[in-house]
Formats: sequence, structure tokens, C-alpha cells
Amino acid sequence: MAKHLISLTINGDTYEDLVVSDNQTLLDVIRGEVGLKGTKRGCTTGACGVCTVNDANGDAILSCMTHVLEWDGEAITTIEGLADTGDLDAIQKAFVHYGAVQCGSCTPGVIMSAKALLNAHPQPTEEQINEAMAGVLCRCTGHVKVKEAIRNAHRIEEVVSHAAGD
Amino acid sequence: MLLPDHQYLCADSLQACLKTLRESGERTHVVAGGTDVIFNMRLRLFQPDIALSIRRVAEIQQVEELPDGSLRIGAGCRLVDLAENPVINERYPAFADSIRAVASTHIRNIATLGGNICLKTRCWYTNNSEQWRQGVKECFKTDGDLCHVIKSSSLCHAINNADTPLPLIVLGAVLTLQREGGSRDVPIAEFYQKDGMDHTVLEADELVTHVTLPPCADRTVFLKIAARKGMDFSQAAIAGRASGTGSQAGEVRLVLGSISMAPIVLHEPARLIAEQGITDAAIEQAEEKVRAELGELTSLYARAGYKAHLAKILVRRALKALREM
Repeated sequence: MAKHLISLTINGDTYEDLVVSDNQTLLDVIRGEVGLKGTKRGCTTGACGVCTVNDANGDAILSCMTHVLEWDGEAITTIEGLADTGDLDAIQKAFVHYGAVQCGSCTPGVIMSAKALLNAHPQPTEEQINEAMAGVLCRCTGHVKVKEAIRNAHRIEEVVSHAAGD
Repeated sequence: MLLPDHQYLCADSLQACLKTLRESGERTHVVAGGTDVIFNMRLRLFQPDIALSIRRVAEIQQVEELPDGSLRIGAGCRLVDLAENPVINERYPAFADSIRAVASTHIRNIATLGGNICLKTRCWYTNNSEQWRQGVKECFKTDGDLCHVIKSSSLCHAINNADTPLPLIVLGAVLTLQREGGSRDVPIAEFYQKDGMDHTVLEADELVTHVTLPPCADRTVFLKIAARKGMDFSQAAIAGRASGTGSQAGEVRLVLGSISMAPIVLHEPARLIAEQGITDAAIEQAEEKVRAELGELTSLYARAGYKAHLAKILVRRALKALREM
């Protein structure tokens, strides 16, 4: 099968001349070619959401449900991109603080879905949280702590320093 | 699992897309958002030689108001954009509700209206992995000559699970199908066929390019029942429309989805209500007339008997909702 050269910007780094084939999905290339293993492969049918990444608009999309060739020249953000300055993103800090992680398998997809929601609505309503998170499944820690983390992400510094007794 | 081997082509204009479809339509599968196509390709249910992406075809991504008051929507518009479109929300609220009912935010961020209209029919037997299917005899969908769901049937009974076509049918929407050098308009009610294999009248060299909605001043409603609100295909869904106000209704339309190979337009219940008005007594009578119009029922996401029950319940809820509007 023919190979193609594409360019893809992931987390601000541009990968020129990525060698991909027609039948690879965006997920195949993020994990296999680029080697960023944070984004997980789950159901590959669009039902679990663990492969979620954000597109250039900051919207959540499923990287397993789209040809990589659709994304030639475009920019995406994966879970690795949230902490690329070395400091965790507010939503990641909130997940740590509220214990919204258990086995961690779905966490990248859950966090990238939450990040997309917070990009559009920094202080989302319950309804907005429910709608944005309906496409990702966590089967161990449950969704209550995840929602708590999302609700408080905008003021996480304050919550953390209060808890530390500052 | 990797997708099967195929060639990926990206059409950068409508003309280029229609040219590819003319030259190799039989061997090609159009990919709009891809959320249904890629899923089916991974299951090896579609193994096209060419996957033709129309994501960059700008001509089919506009929403235009026409001089006669109609709204013309490009089939390539993403569901997320249509769900937020103020004109659609104001003039066609049931249609807007049906868009928001499709899958999850993640899917709607990339899936298109045309894709939902052309959504392939699904069935408990074929929508499984290739290895799983090897354990059962080939059916119509896998080049065999039987239907596992209804063994005596000469047709495939896979179910049409699309949500957006239901309000489009009650609204009297018209689809524009284009091929190189030609175009035809098909009322969406005539677009679907009662055959799980050949479920639309779309030809291999054609593309659904636009959906035109005539003005509508009537009350409309869309209701969906699914296992989970956020993600699942419907167990049953309904769109309804009634002229007049309160219990008065001169004209009534009811369309059920996710029950059969094509959306079901309910004639007798609608006629009864139009005659008697939306009264409790008429609703009860209308409910009793529903089962006879459903035909043979099969199980997908809910058992057949339960689907018959849901159909009845949805007719009742839709009529009561219309009366309150």
C-alpha cells in the first residue's frame, strides 16, 4: 500500500514528513509513529472516548474514528500537551486533588474531554458537564469525583492552598 | 485493529468528488465525518477500494435562507454546528433536538448531517467483529442469502437507527442528490426503502449534497429512548407535528424510527387524531392503532416486544407534548 508524507502539529511540535499509510487512523499515528502513548486505544467503535484528543479549536474528537490523512497540516493537542511546561494543567491538578483517577486507563480521554469543555466554558453548568462527558466511560472510579474536579478546576489553586492550610 | 487496505482520497471540491464517484462509485465509500464508516470498515463490513473524504468540500457546508422562506442546509455541515445554529433552533426545534440526541459531543464534533441521513442499517448479527461473524452462516449483509433475525425473510431486516431523518420527514424536507452533470430532488420520506441492504435510493455515483426544509409554523416534537442518553443508538424514537393549538389539530404527522429497516410513517393514528383532536380518548385509540403499522419487529438494543411497547408509549408522549405546546 502507498505511503504518504504528511505534517502534523501535536502539542505545538510540528512533525514534518511523517510517513503514514491510507488505512491508519489519527490514533495509530499518535501512538505508533510519533510515540506519544498517553492517548489510549479503547473500544475503537466510538463508544468509550479514551482516545479523545483536542482539535485546533479545542474541541474533543475521537482519534480512533478518523483517517490520519484527514489531519494533514492540522494541529491537535494530546494529554502530553497539557503539562508540557512542566507544571500540571488546572484540570490535571483538580483530578489529583479530588482523586478522580483510579486505574487510569480512561483518564487521558476523560481529561481531554473535560479540557475541551473548559476551553468553551471555564465554569460549566451541571448540564454542560453531563453533556460533554457523556461520551467517555470510566468503569472504576465512577463519575462523581470527575465531575467534582471539573466543577472546581477554575479555582483549583485556591482549593489546594486552602486544603494545605495556607 | 487496523482498517482494511484501501486508498484514501480527499476531494477538495464538489466537482472533484462527483468525478470520482462517476469513475469509481461502485468501489468507493464516501467518508464525511467517518464515525459510522470507519466503524464499519474496522468490522470489515465495508471494504471499499477507495475512501473518499468530503471534509474539505466547502460547497456543502453552508446553511442558507432561501427567498421562499425555506432553509437549505449543506449535508457536510457538522452536527455540532447545526445544533448551535440559532435559525434551526428557533424555526425547527424538534430537528435541533434530534441533532443533539445523536451520540455524544465527541461524535457530533466531527459527524455530519449527510452522514446521519445515510447512516447504514445495523443488526445484532452483522455489527460484530469478523471473527464473531465467522461463527454464524453468512447473511445478506455478508454475501449470504438469509437473514438471521427473521429466518423466513427474503430481505435483510437490519434496523435504520438514524435520529435526524424523523423530524426531517415530518417537516417535509427535500434532499438534493447530485451526480456529475445532474441533480435530483427527493423528498426524504421517499429516500428510504424497507430493505436493510439497499436502504436508500441513493445510487453509487450520487452524493447527498443538501437538505431543504420548507417553512413550518406547526408544533413539532422529537423524543428518543435509549439505554444511555449520552451515547447510544435509539431503542425507539419519534417525531411528531400538529397544526392548530391545544387539542385542535387539523393535520397530524407521526414518524417512528429505530423500529424497522426504514422510518415508519404512522397513518391511522395520525388520521384518528386529526379527526378527533388531541384528546385523551383519541390518544388511547391512536395507541391501539400503532402496532398494526409496525410490521415484523426485530430486536436491536431492545427486545422486539419491548420495542412495540415503546412505540405505543412514544406516540402517547409525543401527542401529549404537542397538545401542551
